[in-house]
Amino acid sequence: MVFRGLSGRVFAAPPRVFPGADDIRFSARLLLDGAVSDALMMMFRILRLFVFLPLLAGPMFAATPREIIAEAAVAESSARQRELVASLRGQGDEAIAPLLGAWRQDALFIFPNAAGEKIPVTLAGEKDADGAQAAIRVSDGEPLLGDDGRPLRLVAADLVAADHTSSLRRVMKGVLDVIDVAAPAAATRIKAIQTLGQTQNVEQLPVLAARLEIETEKKVVLALREAIALINLKSSDPAAKLAAFEELAALHTLSSADFLKTALKEAEAAGDKTLVAAAGTALRAVERHRAKVDFIGTLFRSLSLGSILLIVALGLAITFGLMGVINMAHGEMIAVGAYTTYVVQNVFGPGLALSPFGVSMRIPGLNTDGWVYESYFLFALPCSFLMAALVGVALERGVIRFLYRRPLESLLATWGVSLLLQQLLRLTFGANNVQVGSPSYLSGNWTVDDILFGWNRVFVIGFAALIVLGVWLVLTRTPLGLLIRSVMQNRQMAACVGVRTERVNMLTFGLGSGLAGLAGAFLSQIGNVGPSLGQSYIVDSFMVVVVGGVGNLVGTVISGLGIGSIDQFIQQYSPALAGALGSVPVIGGGLRNLAQDSAVFGKILVLCGIILFLQWKPAGLFVTRSRSLD
Amino acid sequence: MTTSPTARRVETTAIAVIALFLIVVFPLLNAHGVVSDFTLNLWGKYLCYALLAISVDLLWGYTGLLSLGQALFFALGGYMHGMYLMRMIGDLGQHKQPIPDFLVFLGWTDLPGFWKPFSSFPFALAMVFLLPGLVALIFGFLAFRSRIKGVYFSILTQALTYAGALIFFRNNTLMGGNNGFTDFKFILGHNIREASTQRALFIVTAVTLLLVYLLCRWLSRTKFGLVQKAIRDGENRVLFSGYAAGHYKLFVFVLGAVIASVGGALYVPQVGIINPSEMTPDKSLEAVVWVAVGGRATLLGPIVGAVSINALKSWATRAFPDLWLILLGGLFILVVLFLPGGLVSIPGRVKELWRRCRAKKAGPSETETPPAAPAASAEETPAKP
Repeated sequence: MVFRGLSGRVFAAPPRVFPGADDIRFSARLLLDGAVSDALMMMFRILRLFVFLPLLAGPMFAATPREIIAEAAVAESSARQRELVASLRGQGDEAIAPLLGAWRQDALFIFPNAAGEKIPVTLAGEKDADGAQAAIRVSDGEPLLGDDGRPLRLVAADLVAADHTSSLRRVMKGVLDVIDVAAPAAATRIKAIQTLGQTQNVEQLPVLAARLEIETEKKVVLALREAIALINLKSSDPAAKLAAFEELAALHTLSSADFLKTALKEAEAAGDKTLVAAAGTALRAVERHRAKVDFIGTLFRSLSLGSILLIVALGLAITFGLMGVINMAHGEMIAVGAYTTYVVQNVFGPGLALSPFGVSMRIPGLNTDGWVYESYFLFALPCSFLMAALVGVALERGVIRFLYRRPLESLLATWGVSLLLQQLLRLTFGANNVQVGSPSYLSGNWTVDDILFGWNRVFVIGFAALIVLGVWLVLTRTPLGLLIRSVMQNRQMAACVGVRTERVNMLTFGLGSGLAGLAGAFLSQIGNVGPSLGQSYIVDSFMVVVVGGVGNLVGTVISGLGIGSIDQFIQQYSPALAGALGSVPVIGGGLRNLAQDSAVFGKILVLCGIILFLQWKPAGLFVTRSRSLD
Repeated sequence: MTTSPTARRVETTAIAVIALFLIVVFPLLNAHGVVSDFTLNLWGKYLCYALLAISVDLLWGYTGLLSLGQALFFALGGYMHGMYLMRMIGDLGQHKQPIPDFLVFLGWTDLPGFWKPFSSFPFALAMVFLLPGLVALIFGFLAFRSRIKGVYFSILTQALTYAGALIFFRNNTLMGGNNGFTDFKFILGHNIREASTQRALFIVTAVTLLLVYLLCRWLSRTKFGLVQKAIRDGENRVLFSGYAAGHYKLFVFVLGAVIASVGGALYVPQVGIINPSEMTPDKSLEAVVWVAVGGRATLLGPIVGAVSINALKSWATRAFPDLWLILLGGLFILVVLFLPGGLVSIPGRVKELWRRCRAKKAGPSETETPPAAPAASAEETPAKP
């Protein structure tokens, strides 16, 4: 750390002072440590050797990278300097990069002590009034002590920087280029190795090969093998090339595809049949792997989209199933849930200032941080549910209960409510999207075999399953569920045996709206939260309900997941379909044009699919059988 | 829904007066500078919306089909006419190219094939009728064949509109994408910005509205109109009586689509722009509001509703831009809850109230007074549960 700070400060250091300048001031400063005896110095050296011996656990002459650099800095011939620096290649010691960097930028100084010995030092720490800084010995990173045993403070301008020729700088660059290959952090190593592999520079091969022998981390070994194979693609030896193709076929990494294609072209140009065959095999292995990754990735995405649709549509399915009311304000219930999450987040954080209708109000914040703040989402979930449920109950009591006999008109009235709520949200929270941060436990991802699994999506899938289970339990295992089902099956009969159907309506509508609120809390983690949030999901959730069939949980689950996956699969594979679609007579050109925008194409195909599906099953997947005629 | 001969005579007179005013007096006033060009233009827009409202009413008020796809047909008609108007710009666009600006922007050098015939006005006019008609025919055939009705039909038409908007929002559809068509220059050789052209367009719109009104009025009195209303009130009974309800619905659906499309085609040259935001399901719902506020299942209602709500909107969006949506939403809830007959039912209700008051004074014992709203709502209730 000290060194990084130092090399950062080096830029501000004065220009290099030529030898001989300011000699007088220099010697005056050194008066203090006038008499360091040779004997003392010898003793110190021996001592140091003893200290380092056990650590090195190698032959006597093996030195730490620091010592090598220190030795190189004072070496007489530039050839020796180059040799010493070059010996650092392949080492990953943290000290190397900053020291070499300092050297190149004239911030590595040679300090001649009183004994006439040249001690390479770097300067670190705050400058005092004289502009002096603490001197750090290059050889061991310890402060340079004066005769009195106190750390020495030196002025950069007084010191002579270590020499470096352009050929030496080239060697340093060679060392620095591969330094991350041996970095302590595995992720850094992998990145460096991949970069080296992609440059396909044959010169770097020995470093990688040497690393492969001592590397233990599995992922790094794979990266090394890939990089070596990639470099070997450029090899002049056909046998090495062949081996590289075989290796890449075995590894089938996605990143090697482009290099394999280039290599295949080269092999074709050269007319080497075995190489062409091997390259083809490797390329096919990569393509197979890519197809697998795409497929599983699409499967995962369709599952997560399906779960979102499911959560969004579940509440709608319940209210529609019970009352035959299509609640156009369902989307706004979602938005209410999302905004509740936003408010809860701000209550856990710095609070929130709102000014609806010109009235300023301030919601105080708890100013928490760390894991307490991150747990806001767990509190936001029940709050969103309750808030949306309350709005839903108010809506039912205020508007919908007058319209049970007029389903089409309840659709219109709830649309009025939706406009109203949307504008209220806009006036309260502003027309722009608000920022809802994801807690850290929802913002990471797993990568398994090149397939990306976002935690928030995994969470959505898990929670969708949980909510479906919860709703199923409520409907089948609680007294409320019993009442709901009885009213759903036969309203008049239920009323005759004493069920208060009005109250059941209210509670059901509250439940449905609450579920929409929960959906809103989730959507706040996945997309933007704005006043028109609900609008973007409302058409889709209607589709899910219509396809699923009225009042049937299983139908909703199947249709939600089904629509989600069809949509995602069409999106993924529509570019591939575009060519085939072009050959359709008359409208082929239009279809191919449409297939270019896979998202739009997916939505439109899903819609057409739904219309055709309803030809086959007009009342949805699952129909509640009854003998009554509407 | 029965109308007495006197009421019919009153309606005929009212229509004649309004038509005379709109077709003759209003443009004359404009020509003499009493009515500003802006006002005339605004009213032209309202009348186009009235055409859209009539198409909604024909479906919803008379046949019980709440179609949320009327905005799609309206916009399709607008686009078809817009294509002709875009061709008439010629090389006067910003890029000074013989093809529309947005095509130049997308890197086209010559006209895509499907644009070519739109240089001819008769072709564009034919497409105004044919394309929405065809879309309605295919969709309606599929929907009515599988007996999709009620809210299901509404949701599907809503989704259809949504899909249409998605397609037209794309740049690659080559229909102007997000920005749509605008910056028109000429129509049939006349400068579109000229006051006289706009006046002529206004007269054409008013005459079209009158014709559509008369057509619907005639239709509602034929046997066809009776079957139509019977379908609304009890579709199964109509089926069991041996009528192919699906065919009737399909015809009305296509007719509604064409009327909306004509409205859209007249809308574009007067407003000067058409873009996919006209095509959203919200626009359809807004048109339904006009009908509901004006009075469904009447022919005057949609016209009154479209004009009054849009006049209110013009005023309110300037006076209270923030509150307009709340006003609209609230108005809608109130009308649906308390005034199912809409604005045009107010005179009848007042008369009813007046008569009751007089009856009460004359002999309080002979009538009990049921509340007004349930009586009206019972009359409006479709037979569906």
